[in-house]
Amino acid sequence: MSFLHVSSINTICNLFNKLVISLLMIVFSVSAFGQNNNCACFVKGIVRDRHSNQPVIGATVLIIGQNSGVFTDEKGRYELRNLCPGTYTLECRIVGYNSFRQTLDLTSGHIEDFSLQEQEIHLKDVEITAHRSEVPSSQPLNTISGNELENTRGRSLAESLKGLPGVTSLQTGSSISKPVIHGLHSNRVLIMNNGVRQEGQQWGSEHAPEIDPFVATRLSVVKGAAGVRYGSDAIGGVILVEPEELPFNKPLSGELNTVGFSNGRQGVLSGTVQGGIKILKGFGWRAQGTVKKSGNIRTPDYYLDNTGTNEKNFSLAAGYRNKGFGIDLFYSRFDTEIGIFSGSHIGSVTDLLNVIKNGEPFIKSGFSYDIARPSQNVTHDLIKAETHYHFQDGNKLQWTAARQINNRNEFDLHRSRNDSIAALNHPELTFKLSTLTNDVVWDHKPIAGKLAGQVGVSALYQYNLMSGRPLIPNFNQFNIGVFWMERYVKNSWELEAGVRYDYRKLKTYRIVSKEKLSDHFEFKNFSGTLGATKNFSERLSARLNAGTAWRAPNVSELFSDGVHHGAAAYEKGDASLQPEIALNTIGSVKYAGERLTFEVGGYYNFISDYIYLKPQPEPILTIRGAFPYFKYTQTDATFKGVDVSASWKFIKSTTFSSKLSYLQAYDRRNDSYLVMIPANRIDNQLKYELPDYGNWHQTYISAGNLFVARQKRVSPGSDFAPPPKAYSIWTIQAGSSIRLSEKHQLETGITVQNLLNTAYRDYLNRFRYYADEMGRNISIRFKYSFGA
Amino acid sequence: MNKKLTLAMIFFAAVTFTQCKDAGDDVEPDDENELITTVTLKFAEKGTTTVNSFSYKDTDGDGGNAPAQFDTISLKPNTAYTLTVEMLDESKTPAEDVTEEIEEKSDEHLLIYTPAPASLLSYTYGDKDANNFNIGLTGEALTGAAGTGKLKVQLRHQPGTKDGSATSGSDDVNLDFALVIK
Repeated sequence: MSFLHVSSINTICNLFNKLVISLLMIVFSVSAFGQNNNCACFVKGIVRDRHSNQPVIGATVLIIGQNSGVFTDEKGRYELRNLCPGTYTLECRIVGYNSFRQTLDLTSGHIEDFSLQEQEIHLKDVEITAHRSEVPSSQPLNTISGNELENTRGRSLAESLKGLPGVTSLQTGSSISKPVIHGLHSNRVLIMNNGVRQEGQQWGSEHAPEIDPFVATRLSVVKGAAGVRYGSDAIGGVILVEPEELPFNKPLSGELNTVGFSNGRQGVLSGTVQGGIKILKGFGWRAQGTVKKSGNIRTPDYYLDNTGTNEKNFSLAAGYRNKGFGIDLFYSRFDTEIGIFSGSHIGSVTDLLNVIKNGEPFIKSGFSYDIARPSQNVTHDLIKAETHYHFQDGNKLQWTAARQINNRNEFDLHRSRNDSIAALNHPELTFKLSTLTNDVVWDHKPIAGKLAGQVGVSALYQYNLMSGRPLIPNFNQFNIGVFWMERYVKNSWELEAGVRYDYRKLKTYRIVSKEKLSDHFEFKNFSGTLGATKNFSERLSARLNAGTAWRAPNVSELFSDGVHHGAAAYEKGDASLQPEIALNTIGSVKYAGERLTFEVGGYYNFISDYIYLKPQPEPILTIRGAFPYFKYTQTDATFKGVDVSASWKFIKSTTFSSKLSYLQAYDRRNDSYLVMIPANRIDNQLKYELPDYGNWHQTYISAGNLFVARQKRVSPGSDFAPPPKAYSIWTIQAGSSIRLSEKHQLETGITVQNLLNTAYRDYLNRFRYYADEMGRNISIRFKYSFGA
Repeated sequence: MNKKLTLAMIFFAAVTFTQCKDAGDDVEPDDENELITTVTLKFAEKGTTTVNSFSYKDTDGDGGNAPAQFDTISLKPNTAYTLTVEMLDESKTPAEDVTEEIEEKSDEHLLIYTPAPASLLSYTYGDKDANNFNIGLTGEALTGAAGTGKLKVQLRHQPGTKDGSATSGSDDVNLDFALVIK
């Protein structure tokens, strides 16, 4: 068996530090050991597979900045000797797994003291559990976890991700928010919720992902086309929502989060308890729940009527591990009621033009928690079972089956004029989407320690039932995909390649002139990915990936036919649409120094047969007057842009960080700009870390500014109003972690968003025509954790 | 080990089979949903028995087939007419009379008639709701001198917010009839 060259590993590690840390799970334990001179500290431990708990043989463990590394033995053990006291960064990697990096403090101020207590400081026993990698490592991956994630607690999924470069959000007011990656959203961004592709009614711009971010301990964004691993829809990128590994054989632990927001007088309460079962070896369980209530949102000058939300979510998980075998069961329920700003119901174009002219909504209100019409009521149930088996020889088989039931009820502003019907208070729109997914993945054992890969089959079966105002048809859909990916590591190079084939069958049913009409569709596609990573030094690395992804037209694009009252537009589908195919090239350079880190990435995403709403020259006449007429049409589109993130610790305890997102989107066939593309932005932050004081650790204060430019790349006359002006908003934050006792900890944070109560509007908010964004919002959060 | 796998397989098979539902079985027309497909303006010339009716008709609602009828209102100059409105939902069989429902909920509805140019016609409301606000289901239209233009007919739906002004609520009907006075 041959191993990787140590220095190359070093640099690869550097590269993947930020990239893959999200997919790792770490367990630390500190134990005693004795050494008797300055440079006699040790680090030792075992590397285990996260899922099977089996030792990982032949993994490299090394200290960054030193040209030394060791390999794990047949029991997964490693030991690094003769280390001087100091701060080290430990890296562990093996082909087929995500790399892992952890900073250790081996410093001691009492090195001459040979007592046992002192000796403890000289040794760290670090147990590493590595996770098999899924994401192509040549694609940029940004993760929010730990403190950064804590700061977003209480916010929606899309709001939580907003801080990442290249990620923005598509909003309907302040309560409905969808993630946007490199200008793409909805059906062009795939969300993997706990390993299962989230299937709601994603096509709708006012349909937010039905996920409680409190379930996750890591939120990651894979940027660029990831069609090979994830199949249809992964055109702009993939969002990974991942909970922590279940606490197998661990004592009871838990946490309680409370967050209060001044705006909307929102309160959030979320708790988790978890543990193993003493008498049943190999078991682990977790129960988690969240309640959230918010009232009317206030812009700097007025309240937005009927913008409260009410959310109740919970999840349960249990798992079992025995040698190479493991099973995880997961159930989650998401239940939300969202008030839609009553001023957003647009009867006719005249209505819209009047409110644009007025500059602010006609409807004014005070504060209230009540949710009236128009509103949405959505529930999402997910039940998942994941089973895997690790064979003795290093092969691994994994089967994930999941069922999701998405129930969406939409209540229009006006009830029926007919009293008996109005009394029923039925939603005007009901969607029931039921999805079954099955994924079987075979990870073959690394060949010669250099080549690792996986082969998999993914199946999806889905049906949709609609009632109420005809909007989209009922349908049955079946999709099967087969993929194969390999990764090869040699010296300072890492190469990846993969292919996938997808086949999709769609059968729709709708009523046309009181007759039932059925249509059949078949879509098929090949996807591919090719990527390379080069490590120039342990600090500097570069990545390049070219990948394709596809997306079959969804039913709303095929069959829409009616006025979209939120948009004051008549939208018509086209049943002859073909799948769109994206070819995405994405490259990045990353430098990770002690004080300075930066990552510069560029992308060029060419989407052939990009489906969009094309304005038609003649408006369409309805009983509510003439509406601008849009038809779903295909074109060739390009999305090109740059993401830059940098952080510089220019003096001790003070860090300046900056994130820039630049994007240009263009319609090639018509030689014009695409609409609804996020404006360019830069986010700067200055953070000062205070020294530890008593039980107070990790105390910091920070101030940040977000500047969003005006979107100038729009075709004249393509919208009812020009894009909103540029804006600049300030945020300040402070936080600390307080160790109450050995096993009890309290974390707290305070954030003031929109510090100066600036009135602004964002181009990607559908309410930009008539209402300002949220005004100042002060939030205070506490997290109490006990146990582990 | 094998037992567990077998159990797991049975479980998944059970989940799989419950999924096999045909979405086609559940398609049915929705009768709760309310449309206005037809608006008829009836101009009765005062002092005569002549009634001129002009309609907008789109029996399948928005989209689908284009509106089947959209008449030009043709009236005599300097003449007084009694104007009544009839609104129907002809997508249902039998057709539903929406006018009745508007009458019942007159405190939530307001009809607005806006001629352009304004000199073509002047409208005076002939009905009031319980709060003494105009409705506009009946009224008087007085034509001006000969000319051509438009008559905008709006039905404002203002549940809970009707205050006599046009601004609150949203349009349920918003039609620009061509208007000829000759």
